[in-house]
Amino acid sequence: MLELRALSRHFGGVKAVDGLDLRVSEGQIFGLIGPNGSGKSTTVNVITGLLRPTSGSILFRGEDLGALPTHLRLRAGIARTFQNIRLFGQLSVWQNLWVAQNSAEDQARHGFFARWLGGQGGVRAEIAQLLEFSGLAHKQDELAANLAFGEQRRLELARALAARPKLLLLDEPAAGMNSEEIGQLRERILKLRDTGITILLVEHVMELVMGVTDRIAVLNFGQKIAEGVPAEIQAHAAVRKAYLGGDAA
Amino acid sequence: MLDFLQAVSDGVLFGATYALIGIGFTLVFGVMHKINMAYAGASIGGAYAGLLVLKVMSAAPPALVFLGAFAAGGLLGWMVYLTCFHFIPLSSPLATLMSTVGMLLLIDEVIVHVTQGMPQNYPAMFDDVMLRAGEFTLRGDLLLVFGVAIVCMAGLMLLLYRTRLGLATRAVSQQPVAARLCGIRLEQVNATTFVITGLLGGIAGALIGASVGTLSPLLTLPLTVKGLIVTVIGGLGSIPGAIVAGLLVGGFENVLQLYRGVTERDLYVMLLLFVFLVFRPGGIFAAKSGRD
Amino acid sequence: MDFYFGLVQIIGVHTLLGLSAYIVLLTGQVSLAQAGFFAVGAYAAGMLTVLAGWHLVPALGASAVCGAGVACAVGFPALRVKGLMLVIATLAFGEGVRLFFFNFDYQIARGDLKVGPLGGEGFRQIRFFPENGWTTGEVMLFIWAFVLAAMALLWWFDRSRYGSVLRAVGEDELAAQSVGINLTAVKVSAMTVGGAIAGVGGGLYAHYTTHIEHASFNILLATFAIAYPIVGGLRNVFGTVLAVIFVQGFLIEGLRFLGDWRNLLFGALIVLAMNLRPSGFLGARRRA
Repeated sequence: MLELRALSRHFGGVKAVDGLDLRVSEGQIFGLIGPNGSGKSTTVNVITGLLRPTSGSILFRGEDLGALPTHLRLRAGIARTFQNIRLFGQLSVWQNLWVAQNSAEDQARHGFFARWLGGQGGVRAEIAQLLEFSGLAHKQDELAANLAFGEQRRLELARALAARPKLLLLDEPAAGMNSEEIGQLRERILKLRDTGITILLVEHVMELVMGVTDRIAVLNFGQKIAEGVPAEIQAHAAVRKAYLGGDAA
Repeated sequence: MLDFLQAVSDGVLFGATYALIGIGFTLVFGVMHKINMAYAGASIGGAYAGLLVLKVMSAAPPALVFLGAFAAGGLLGWMVYLTCFHFIPLSSPLATLMSTVGMLLLIDEVIVHVTQGMPQNYPAMFDDVMLRAGEFTLRGDLLLVFGVAIVCMAGLMLLLYRTRLGLATRAVSQQPVAARLCGIRLEQVNATTFVITGLLGGIAGALIGASVGTLSPLLTLPLTVKGLIVTVIGGLGSIPGAIVAGLLVGGFENVLQLYRGVTERDLYVMLLLFVFLVFRPGGIFAAKSGRD
Repeated sequence: MDFYFGLVQIIGVHTLLGLSAYIVLLTGQVSLAQAGFFAVGAYAAGMLTVLAGWHLVPALGASAVCGAGVACAVGFPALRVKGLMLVIATLAFGEGVRLFFFNFDYQIARGDLKVGPLGGEGFRQIRFFPENGWTTGEVMLFIWAFVLAAMALLWWFDRSRYGSVLRAVGEDELAAQSVGINLTAVKVSAMTVGGAIAGVGGGLYAHYTTHIEHASFNILLATFAIAYPIVGGLRNVFGTVLAVIFVQGFLIEGLRFLGDWRNLLFGALIVLAMNLRPSGFLGARRRA
C-alpha cells in the first residue's frame, strides 16, 4: 500500500528524516514510534505532500507520488489527522465533514452542480453515518471550536474518514487522553481496519501502540533503528536505549 | 546622460525620506506583524505640528521646526498605538487594519480642518546652497535631507543593537510568547515601537515638506502607497531592505519623471512593484521570521 | 423624495462593492483591488452605452465579464502573496488601474461633440438613464434588482458546500489542503465572482452619476469596499448591507447636519467601531 524508499528530508543541516525505508501492507495497522524530534511528524508531512522530500521516493499503491500536490493525494486516498487538532473552528461539526468529502468516489457520485451548489440534503445519509461512528450526532450543528477536547479529537478523525481514505495517517491521536479514552480509540481503530483501511499510526503513547499495531518501526534522529512486531520491539536493546538512554537492562 | 545622472542623484537623495517611511512600516510589521496604515498620515501630521513652533516663535530656525515635527511624530505614533492596537485584541488583524485606516482618515481631516485646506509653506535649510561639479548639481537641501535621514537610521540601528530596549524589541519580533515569558512587557515594547517609528515619521514628513517647499494633506495617500511599495520591495520586516528600496524607488521615480512625465511616473513605480512581486515576492532582503 | 432615492441608489451600488469584497474576504484574502474591478466595469459599461449604443442591460453583462476577467487574472498571482502583502499588492493594483484610466483617452465624434473617456478629465455624458426617460425612482429600483440578485447569489453560496469550503480555506489553508480542497480553484473562483459583482456595481455607478473619472476610484473607495464586510462581519451578507447603510446612510448623510465636522467624525467612528466590536456588527458566531 505504502512504500518509502530511502526517504530523506533535510532542513538545512538538520536531517529530520534520513534514508528511511518503510513498507506498509494493505490492511495493516503499522506503528511509527520514536523519541521527540525523531522525525515522525516530518515523515507524515512528507507523505501527505505538505513537505517535499529532499531525496528518496514515496510509492502509494505502486505509483510514485512524485510532486503530486496535497489535495490530489487526498483524492488518491491518503488522509491524515493532525497532532494539534486543526479543525475548522468557525464551521459546525456537520460542515467540517461536508467540506472534507473530496474523495474520487464522491466526485464521481455527485455531479459538479450538486456537489458544489447543492444543499445539505444530498449527502445527509453519509455524513450521518460518520457522525454515528464518532458519537457526535447530537452535536452536529455545534461550532467545532465549542466542542470538548475529546469530541474535537473524534471530529478530527471523522473528518479524515469523510475523505474515504485507503491509507489513514494518524498523528499522535492519543495525546492527552486517559486510559478509558485510549481504550475507546483502540476499538475505533480496530473497527476502521475491519472496513479495509490501512493505518499508519504515529504515536508516543505505548499503551495504544502496543495494543493495536501489527508491526512497528522505531525512528531515532530521522533513521529507522528497529522494526518488528510489538513484542520484538519491546525487548529491543537499541529501542530501549533511544528512549531511556544508556544501557537499560 | 548628465540629465540622467542628475535625476538619479536627486531622486536617490530624496528617496531617503521614502526609506524612513518604509522603515516605519517595516518595523511595525516586524515586531507586531501588522500594517499601520495611518503611518504616512501621522508623519505628515507630525510635520504640520512642527509648524506650530513657528506660531509660537515666528522667527524660529528651521531646525527647531524639524525638532517639533520629530517630537509631534512620536506623540502621534503613541496615539495611533493607543487607539488601534492597545485595546483591540491582536487576534483581530482585520479590526486593527481597519482602525488604522480610520486613524488615517481622521488625521487627514484634522489637518484639513486646522489649515482650512490651504497648503502650508515649509521652511527649508540650505536651499540656496548648491554644490556644483561642472554641470552636475547637488542641491544643498537635498543633501541635508539625505544626511538627516542617515543620522536617523544610524540612531535607530544603535537603538536596536546597543540598548536593552532594542534587544527586547528584537526578541519580541522573533518570539513574542517566549519574550513575555522572559519578563519582557509586550505592551511596552509595542508602544515604544510606535513611538520610535513615529519619531522617524515626523522627521520624514518634515524633510519632505522642506524639500518640496509646501505641505498639503494631499500628500498623505500617495505617500502611504509609496511607503508600502518600498516596504514590500525591501522585504516586509527588513530594515536594510527598506533603506535600499527607498533609495531605489526615489531614484527610479525621478528618472521616470524625467523621461515620461509626472502623470505616467507613478504607473511605472507600480510596475516596478509588480515586477518584484512576480520575481521576488519576499523582497530584496526577504526576512525569515519577520525581521532582519 | 428624489434625494432619498439618490441615497438609496448610492447604498445599493456600495453594497455591490462591499459584497464583492465579502466573498473574497471569506477565503481569507484581504483585497483592496475591488475598486479596480469596479472602475473597469464602470468604464466598460459607459463606453458600450455611449460609444457603441448598447442597451444598459447587456452593457452590464459585459461589465460583469470584464470585471470577472480582470479579477481572474489578478487572482492567480495573488496566490503567491500571503497575508498583509496581499493587502499591499491589491492596493497597488487598484492604484495602477486608476493611473491607467488617468492616462486613458478614447473619444469619438458625435455631431459637434466629442464623447468618451478623456484621461484626467474623465468620462462625461453617460446619459443612458436621462436619454431614455428613467425617473430617479426607477433607477433606484433597477439598481436594487441587481443588488438583491447578488445578495441572493451569495446567500445561496453560503448555504451550499461552496460557502463552507470558502470559509474553511479562509480559516486554515493547511487543513483545507489536507482534506482535499484545491486552494487555487477556491481562491481564484472567489476573486472572479467578486470581480463580476464589482464590475456590475461599477457599470451601474457610471450610469447614475453620468460622469466618472479616475479620482472616483481611489484608495478611499478601495478601503470602503473592504471596510463594509469587516465592519459588517462575515457571518452573512446582511452584515455587509448593514455596514453600508451605517456608513453611507448614517455617517455620511445622517451626520450631514454637522457640516464639516462630519468627515472628522467618520474616521473617529470607524476607530471606535473597531475597538468596540472587533469582529464586526454581525461577526463570527459566538464561541462558548
